[in-house]
Amino acid sequence: MITTAGLRKSYGGVTAVRDATVEVLPGKINALIGPNGSGKTTFFNLVTGLIKPDSGTVHYRDTDITGRSPHRIAHLGLGRTFQLCRIFPRMTVLENMLVAVRRTRLRELLAGIGNPAEIERARGWLRRTGIEHMETAEARELSYGQQKLLELAAVLMAEPELILLDEPAGGVNPALIERLVTLIRELNAEGHTFLVVEHNMDMVMGMSDHVIVFDRGAPICAGPPRQVRSDPRVLEAYLGV
Amino acid sequence: MRIVSSLLLVAAALAYPWLVPNYYLVYAGVLTVMYAAMATSWNILGGLSGYVSLGHSAFFGLGAYGTGLLVARLGWPWPLALGVSTAGVALFAALVGVAAVRVRGASFVIVTIALVSAMNLLAQGWRSLTGGSVALQVPSPFAGLHRGQTHLLFYHLFLALLAAVLLAWWLISRSRYGSGLRAIREDEDKAESLGVPTAAYKVVAFALSALFVALAGGLYALWFGSLDPIFVFSVVFGASMVLMSLLGGRRHLLGPLLGALIVAPAGEYFLIALGETQIHLTATGVLLVLVVLFMPEGILARRWRRDHNRRAPQVLRRSDGGA
Repeated sequence: MITTAGLRKSYGGVTAVRDATVEVLPGKINALIGPNGSGKTTFFNLVTGLIKPDSGTVHYRDTDITGRSPHRIAHLGLGRTFQLCRIFPRMTVLENMLVAVRRTRLRELLAGIGNPAEIERARGWLRRTGIEHMETAEARELSYGQQKLLELAAVLMAEPELILLDEPAGGVNPALIERLVTLIRELNAEGHTFLVVEHNMDMVMGMSDHVIVFDRGAPICAGPPRQVRSDPRVLEAYLGV
Repeated sequence: MRIVSSLLLVAAALAYPWLVPNYYLVYAGVLTVMYAAMATSWNILGGLSGYVSLGHSAFFGLGAYGTGLLVARLGWPWPLALGVSTAGVALFAALVGVAAVRVRGASFVIVTIALVSAMNLLAQGWRSLTGGSVALQVPSPFAGLHRGQTHLLFYHLFLALLAAVLLAWWLISRSRYGSGLRAIREDEDKAESLGVPTAAYKVVAFALSALFVALAGGLYALWFGSLDPIFVFSVVFGASMVLMSLLGGRRHLLGPLLGALIVAPAGEYFLIALGETQIHLTATGVLLVLVVLFMPEGILARRWRRDHNRRAPQVLRRSDGGA
């Protein structure tokens, strides 16, 4: 679904991502793991257009999306969350959801915020994520875990085929992690593909179909969780053995 | 009740020139309404998208000189000169905006200051066209009227402009486009990742905002009749728009208007009380610092939030005032 070839990004003398050739499998829950500083988030930002690569290509299905602006990539069907939860804090929960509705025609742009069908669809996602009772609250009034759920719900509002989640379980309590995993599985069963960056190994190994491991900016191994878990390169990267 | 009080305020604004005892207060009224229109125009960009421009006086000056030159040098009818000049400035702003909105925060502020400084130098240096510091004299389109009657007429013209800008801000803030601008203000990268074409949104806001400021500049040229680059292309003049919006509340439709009602008469008072000193500039600077430090959300934001929280939940409770 996403294929990168020779992707590279440097900041001054530091190479954050080097020669990254990666394949994200369609219809699966893909995970991207690696030690801190291994280039996972930079890779996310390269794929979603937030930063431009120095070299290499990114293909989404058959389309070359290298260097395209993030909103164009989003329109193709890629949605993402951020490592540090990012919402629109001073907008209401429902307004946060409606930002993601795509607008192209002038008439749509000048129309009021959210028609009844869009509002109902937004409420549907809020119900599924369990925060529908907060719809009129300003997003900053939500707990951190609820903000994570709102971030995911807003991404879903854009109807993406591929959802990239950057540390969805970071700073979230175990009960909420359980809800997140259930939701990811349900959405995957409904046809959404996932690429998840996560440090919670129980979560990754429990829900993923395909795991990609990064170390020092480059992919070192990819495959099913069982295979990756016993790969000596992964053990070396994580444990130094 | 709200409608009745609004209608009373509109009636009072329309009747103001007949309620005051002399034409000087009508003149002060023209200035105040002009500032209110400009600050509200600035707020299309600054309030909705969060991009703070200190250089909007560049568009005021260009609108003023554009209209003034077309009337004074080419003898165009004033409505045509005003329309052509305003459209030209809006187009220019769109082109400048394409480059300017590529940077954010303090860098954007510096770009806008550079813009107004460049325009100032250009207008001062190009004496054969603008008259430079000698000032460009623009013949009054209403030569039959005495000065007081001209104030009266332009008071209502600026009031019509203010009404148009308020309507534009209100419509934008309620629209999906406005929702996209607010998303940019809150978190631009996030908005972009959700599919909002942020660059295009910002350029349109920049140009729209400039359009109304240019219109105010054109009207000013026709009203005042004398254009000096040092005044019309002044960073302090641009900062006044920012101060008025911040003081009143830039997230609120009526915030800049309230700010103008406080700052503009205060400026006139300082001028009368203290003469042609620069103390009013100091007062503007001090007030700007105080507002930013202690009341960054402005007067109306506090009041609005209190009322807002008291209201029962609605289908779509809005996070910005003015709806």
